[in-house]
Amino acid sequence: MTNIENQIFSSYQRNPDLYDEIYDKNGKIKKVYQKLFNLYGEHSIIDYVSLNNKAKSSFFNQGITFQVYGDNNVQEKIFPFDLFPRIIDPVDWDIIERGSIQRSKALNLFLWDIYHDKNILKDKVVPIELITSSANYLDQMNGVNPPGGIYNHISGTDVIKHNDGKYYVLEDNIRCPSGVSYVICNRTALKKALFGVFNHYQTHTVTNYAENLLELLESVKPKGVDIPNVVVITPGMYNSAFYEHSYLAKTMGVELVEGRDLFVENDFVYMKTIKGPEKVDVIYRRIDDQFIDPLEFNPDSVLGVPGLFAAYKKGNVTLANAPGTGVADDKAVYTYMPEIIKYYLNEEPILNNVHTYHCSRPDELKYVLEHIQELVIKPVDEAGGYGISIGNKLTKAEIEKVKAEIKASPRKYVAQPILSLSVHPTYIDDSESFEQRHVDLRTFTVLGKDKEFVLKGGLTRVALKKGNLIVNSSQGGGSKDTWVLKK
Amino acid sequence: MPREFEITYNAENVYDDWVYDAHWQFLIIPVENESQYEVEIEFENSLFAYTEESINGFGFKTLRIHPKKKFKKISFEAKFKFKKEEVDPYNFYLEPDISIAYKELQDFNFKITHERFLKSTSFTILESSQEQLFKFNSSLSIFDNLEALNHWIHKYIKFTTGVTEVGTLLKDVISKKKGVCQDFAHLFCALSRTNGVPTRYVSGYLDQESGFVGDSQMHAWAESFIPGIGWKGFDPTNNILANTNHIKVSHGKDYNDCAPLKGVIHTVGQNKTSHSVTVQSQQ
Repeated sequence: MTNIENQIFSSYQRNPDLYDEIYDKNGKIKKVYQKLFNLYGEHSIIDYVSLNNKAKSSFFNQGITFQVYGDNNVQEKIFPFDLFPRIIDPVDWDIIERGSIQRSKALNLFLWDIYHDKNILKDKVVPIELITSSANYLDQMNGVNPPGGIYNHISGTDVIKHNDGKYYVLEDNIRCPSGVSYVICNRTALKKALFGVFNHYQTHTVTNYAENLLELLESVKPKGVDIPNVVVITPGMYNSAFYEHSYLAKTMGVELVEGRDLFVENDFVYMKTIKGPEKVDVIYRRIDDQFIDPLEFNPDSVLGVPGLFAAYKKGNVTLANAPGTGVADDKAVYTYMPEIIKYYLNEEPILNNVHTYHCSRPDELKYVLEHIQELVIKPVDEAGGYGISIGNKLTKAEIEKVKAEIKASPRKYVAQPILSLSVHPTYIDDSESFEQRHVDLRTFTVLGKDKEFVLKGGLTRVALKKGNLIVNSSQGGGSKDTWVLKK
Repeated sequence: MPREFEITYNAENVYDDWVYDAHWQFLIIPVENESQYEVEIEFENSLFAYTEESINGFGFKTLRIHPKKKFKKISFEAKFKFKKEEVDPYNFYLEPDISIAYKELQDFNFKITHERFLKSTSFTILESSQEQLFKFNSSLSIFDNLEALNHWIHKYIKFTTGVTEVGTLLKDVISKKKGVCQDFAHLFCALSRTNGVPTRYVSGYLDQESGFVGDSQMHAWAESFIPGIGWKGFDPTNNILANTNHIKVSHGKDYNDCAPLKGVIHTVGQNKTSHSVTVQSQQ
């Protein structure tokens, strides 16, 4: 019953080299997508376009927008949304969920260790330079015990499916990962546009994020507090993720504050209200470390609260995520994740790391030089994509040049296999049809005292430009609703 | 018999324009340790603003003020009374086999434990040629080398006020060969760290009655960790070891960790700040 006249997908072109999430290798629709494929096929492309436009305006009317920095015509943009959802079956999800929890827990233990006994460094599993050279390592956190023993309360794990059909982690975001509000808004938008399709699938809800987040934030309350007062602190309405900050505060039923709404007295944090000061116990902060307290960190910060860090250090307030967590959110630490997981949990990593070759190790250097066309070469000390060479896109002359550079200073380079992100049918305005586009998935994991929660869903980001592997919203990426099916 | 000390710290800030919102944090209280104790604190300010005792990010005691009214001028006066034991810096046991301590410096776990005080910072970074300025003599003990370094810096830099300021980099201090106690202490930290000895910057007061060099503000020196002995204070400005006259307030990687006064002030226009310190002691 596949490929019966299905107008919507009639012109869908499949590149056999890419891993398509809805078609198998033989060009058959995968079982989990069968019903969806047929349901969408009942519509014409014109119906689809009109529904898509309605969904877009609904986003705009709700104010679900973001801003791109560095653009003179600062404009509120909506995060482009695609009505054709991504489905993750229970077997795959089980791997992703367990893998996300495993990584978050291992990172939490790693953070505790490097801010206390530093055993992983003493045992030479991770080189000491990794932390001493990191701008995100906070000396002030040495010996501090964060309430509940948690550093990375909220983690965003970026996962991709490679053309070998396996999941790989690209990044662990444990500073202030954003995007969870879009997960919930995407679901709402899809329900409004095509609620009927949900009758055919047993999909996990995503609207329980806020209640779980609140419960876990309350579980890491400071000692001696009975019912904690939780707030969300935002840099303000000009921050690109302000919508999300307000959304999370609203759905958790807690106050959204800026630095100027709080003050510290006798090492306790208070919120100014019309009824007088109200003590604050747990702060979900969406402000970077350097800005949280001008008396301790960046003195020019007007976003933070003077004295906040002293209150934290005395154990009178919880900050989520903990200061200094960013040291583990780092390209160099990432390459050691398999070792970090084994060291603290004595387990094999559930999700794959992209294998990294350190050119400083002679045998790995040899491999890199011999297989340069299959690898991405990255300098260890650059950020933002500078200095990266993609092996299969280099000319012969360029290959020789890169090889010479690596040989000259092998310590400076690492290499990784070129990954091919899976593709998903995505409606493209210009061609008015569905085309293959690369996707990734950001999962959201929350750690609390002795419990954890993974949002059963996630943010599927789509690279809207053809062939583009970069899915960031600032680079013209969009998103899809992501369904995790019940067993 | 311990000596009784009394330290008076005065600061005055004058602004061109009204200040509506200001926070200050003072890191000026003598720290309590094995030789300094029974510290009593009196603190006043001209606006009668409430003063909080708190800590900084490294656990040292601070005083914090946040006036709740507008002002153009504010002055502070702190008085600290405490007792201090006589310190004889040469009273320690020196292991005759000096190689044991050198071996410890090379130990990997030792380097990790003392990582914070071995790395260079923006205030203590040297150009690679400058790292060779003072090389330890391996036939002498670590302590003797540090004392030699103390002496060497004292001769190399001429104590001169007004040539350097708070943000002056070490490489400029070295080329000018002039500076104040902060520069002496930073250079000591830098050169002992390049020789593998964990060293921390110390901020405090100096009892100047005995004729030591410093200005009438806070003083700075350094403490090095010598395996088998522990932390030892060196004052290259005065070419002496830290003794009873050195009253410690805090330590850190460099001046940044120990700045006596931090302020977050929202105002326009210029401001003038002045400080003065007096130290008195009696047996």
